[in-house]
Amino acid sequence: MNRIGVFVCHCGVNIAAKVDVKDVADYASKLEGVAVSMEYKYMCSDPGAQLIKESIKEYGLDGIVVASCSPRMHEHTFRGVAEEGGINPYNVEIANIREQCSWAHEDPVEATRKAKAIVKAAVAKARLLEPLQKSKTPVIPEALVIGGGIAGMQASLDLADDGFKVHLVEKEPTIGGRMAQLDKTFPTLDCSSCILTPKMMETKNHPNIELLTYSEVVSVEGSVGNYRVKVRKKPRFVDVDKCTGCGDCTRACRLFGHVPDDFNLGLNKRGAAYIPFPQAIPLKATIDPSYCLMKRFGKCGDKPLCVEACEPGAIDFDQKEEEVELKVGAIVVATGYDLLDPARMFEYGYTLSPDIVTTLELERLISSSGPTYGKVVLPSNGEKPLSVTFILCAGSRDETQCTWCCRIGCMSALKQVYLLRENLGPEVEINICFTDIRSFGKGYEEFYRKIRGKGVNFFRGRPSEVRVSPEQLMMEVFDTTTNKLFEIRTDMIVLVPALVPRADSEELSRILGLSRSGDGFLLEAHPKLRPMDTFVNGIFIAGCCQGPKDISDSVSQASGAASRAAGILTKDELENDPLIAWVDPEVCVGCGVCVEVCAYSARTMNEVTGIAEVDEALCVGCGACISACPSNASIHKNYTKQQIIRMIDGVV
Amino acid sequence: MSVIDLNSMAEAQAADRQEINERLQRLREEVSDHCYQCGKCTSGCEAHKLLELEPHRIVALLKKGLIDELVNSDIIWTCMSCFKCKERCPQKVAPVNILFALKNLAVASGKQIPGDFTAMLQSAMEKGLIQDVQQVNTRAGETRTREQMGLSPCSKPEDPEKFQMTIMTVAMEKV
Repeated sequence: MNRIGVFVCHCGVNIAAKVDVKDVADYASKLEGVAVSMEYKYMCSDPGAQLIKESIKEYGLDGIVVASCSPRMHEHTFRGVAEEGGINPYNVEIANIREQCSWAHEDPVEATRKAKAIVKAAVAKARLLEPLQKSKTPVIPEALVIGGGIAGMQASLDLADDGFKVHLVEKEPTIGGRMAQLDKTFPTLDCSSCILTPKMMETKNHPNIELLTYSEVVSVEGSVGNYRVKVRKKPRFVDVDKCTGCGDCTRACRLFGHVPDDFNLGLNKRGAAYIPFPQAIPLKATIDPSYCLMKRFGKCGDKPLCVEACEPGAIDFDQKEEEVELKVGAIVVATGYDLLDPARMFEYGYTLSPDIVTTLELERLISSSGPTYGKVVLPSNGEKPLSVTFILCAGSRDETQCTWCCRIGCMSALKQVYLLRENLGPEVEINICFTDIRSFGKGYEEFYRKIRGKGVNFFRGRPSEVRVSPEQLMMEVFDTTTNKLFEIRTDMIVLVPALVPRADSEELSRILGLSRSGDGFLLEAHPKLRPMDTFVNGIFIAGCCQGPKDISDSVSQASGAASRAAGILTKDELENDPLIAWVDPEVCVGCGVCVEVCAYSARTMNEVTGIAEVDEALCVGCGACISACPSNASIHKNYTKQQIIRMIDGVV
Repeated sequence: MSVIDLNSMAEAQAADRQEINERLQRLREEVSDHCYQCGKCTSGCEAHKLLELEPHRIVALLKKGLIDELVNSDIIWTCMSCFKCKERCPQKVAPVNILFALKNLAVASGKQIPGDFTAMLQSAMEKGLIQDVQQVNTRAGETRTREQMGLSPCSKPEDPEKFQMTIMTVAMEKV
């Protein structure tokens, strides 16, 4: 560039009060390669932009330097102005004389001196700028949603309604997720399955949604707009085309009543052939190979009873694992949460008595589709409990377990108090040991007040330990509101455990290349402003995989993630920022260091040429490979070594 | 600007509070400020059942800087040093170590050590242990001896005189 225009901005008084902008503009006009230099009150305003565009024509400029605020603020604006003025948008350099100068310094003389140095460096760099072109990648207008819980279903339905083909991958044999295990939802006491099953039906029947249940994502390659995903379909050992979901095989199974029912958290026993719950979608039987006698020993008595019972002949023990490859433009991750295993807190004695249960277990006991058909009884002897005690924050807000708040524990316990009162009657004693009741959502505080009127003993305190004797469960709890130590003798203890990332979240984050926060949940790109985005372009997160949240928050986030994904899928092609890495093929020795340091999987080794390459759609221009390259073959476009050395010469 | 307890007209003692917190940090404990008063320490406090020691309240008073009230109270001497409060605290605050700090402050300010506590001190000087625990009760209510628990007998100092001298020297430095 030999005809550079320098435009010094006052930014009102933000710059002009400390920096003598006229002096800076005069100084710049004498620099080598500068054709014209001027100052104006607000360069980012319409008249300011007009001034730049006119100057480009009038002085035949081929590059511009804007001395103004941080490039984070207006670099994009001035690139647009340059393009409209008829020059390449990458022939623009920003000299930051606001954040790095006028705002940081008190002395006007020194600030002006520094502003001059910054402008001089910017001009030096601008002389070496290369015009760059944006490359384009076509977008596959299909989406992958991982996880078929309420968040995954909502995201799938939103995207499908927008007209995009959606592949919904669910690990379990049915969609529905955690919400299917709940009886009622707080604070409105909607029947959980009554509001969930219509969504499940809609998901199943939507022409744009392809359900891949009992399947797992094994690998993800490619980049935004063009992901190649491998999905492993686990064998059900049941031909889903023939299976009518009648359930005959589940009752006929020789192991019926011997296999812990994981949908009911092991509170009852099912067979090796099972349908998780009556509203399961797809309503097809699955044979659990870790228990099935045929799968384990190749023999089931004299013959497998399920085969005999199945009228359509759907049982197929020879079914093999299948792998399917999907091509999608965007991915929504909605893999949900696990509950902390309360056995980790020895003091609460979870393993010492079957009558010490978790909230989710109690939920199954309350549910009319649960193991007791909605009759709340003690798991140990099947009798009605006369006293139930809740211990909140079991492992939550705990520096030795989970440091975070589970956000649903207080409300779910209050809801269960309501349901227990209905279920067990007014004479049953209900105690709640809490640290704080967090009833922050819409209608939550009102619900808390309602429960306070239900004859519940609230203890503001945590028991130190639970004692288990053959007759009774006991605990001592110091109530800080009355300043008294109480002994509680109770029949059933409900632990409200912390919400934790799913056991496989580390593996999933590795497959997708996502970051996780310190707690192990998937990390959002910005906690306030980009809560559904991840650091990988085109992959979005929704629901509890990002952190604990309730159903309404999960649904909102799922719709948000779907809309962010649709923003990509609606485009025919995506423009890639050209300010990225580039490899000089003459210099590259193919050592592969760049491939190792790249956090975005953008660097690959071409096995034919033995030279490293850059995937333009994946590279974010972080510069890690450039500093790692031992032979200086990796080059950052418009941040070359020569350019940076000239900038340093300009400043020093 | 100050915070005043209108019962005793006591003012917050910021410097003492900071000193105790620094002492805790040297022991690699969380500072008391993290306590959110869940009361788990008091729920399980063995001394509370007998002597009404309320570890959570001691932490609360420390957080408000009402140190004199604590230092002048006999209650700080009733701790049996079972360390359960430290073990169970969800915020990793160790009330037991706050009590040690308060006891040191009390001695430094010339307070008389209560008689019961001197017996404990005597035991520490002779055996190197506050209590030579011979048996424990389990949560199921059974009694177990050291032998049954697979523990070796309580050790004793080999050279009692030298041991006592060392303890005294350390004690002088700490207080």
